[in-house]
Amino acid sequence: MSDVQPTVTVDARGVACPGPLTSLIKAYRKAKNGDIIEVLATDAGFKADVEAWVKRTGNELLSLTEEGGVIRALIKVTAR
Amino acid sequence: MARGLGIVLYSGRADTLVLAGVLAQTAANYDMPVRIFVTSFATPYFMKEKPEPKLPQEFMEWGQKMFEGMAKMKAPSWYDMLKDAKELGDVKIMVCSMTMEALGFSKDHVDPIVDDVVGAATFLAEMSDYEVIFV
Repeated sequence: MSDVQPTVTVDARGVACPGPLTSLIKAYRKAKNGDIIEVLATDAGFKADVEAWVKRTGNELLSLTEEGGVIRALIKVTAR
Repeated sequence: MARGLGIVLYSGRADTLVLAGVLAQTAANYDMPVRIFVTSFATPYFMKEKPEPKLPQEFMEWGQKMFEGMAKMKAPSWYDMLKDAKELGDVKIMVCSMTMEALGFSKDHVDPIVDDVVGAATFLAEMSDYEVIFV
């Protein structure tokens, strides 16, 4: 999935919970179906939180990875 | 998941105020409406001039550690979390009129973050589709 080009990148590194999810939601509200949102976060809870959010809202989680303490989520907007 | 989140916020403890902020902001993230009924010892913190939130004596050590840690993480204050939640979604804060009067506060003292001064009946009347927690 590393070849997917995000429409927008949300940099929430260093932001404490629930900030990263709020940053994602702010980007999501401006997004349209088909957009890809990339979120970078360092909050340990973000991994589970973004999975829960995607499940509840019916959007698509393309990938969820962690490298060097940075969590990277790629979300395809499908439920706008 | 419930349609909305109702929070009865009665404790003026620093940790409880943070919890209310986190839950309100998260519920707003989920597009859940949030209604907060501020009563008892939480009331002074919703006036313009706020006392310093208190930590419970029995958890003093952890409390200090937690707030030092949150400062280091640059975590927002409970007040900013509630403000964020209100910008983000359908979040309303109501203050208990009885407690306010008992504590000697008038409407002029109320912080602008508060939407209304009401009785418990107003809050409960809205709660049929809400999951209500008490903190």
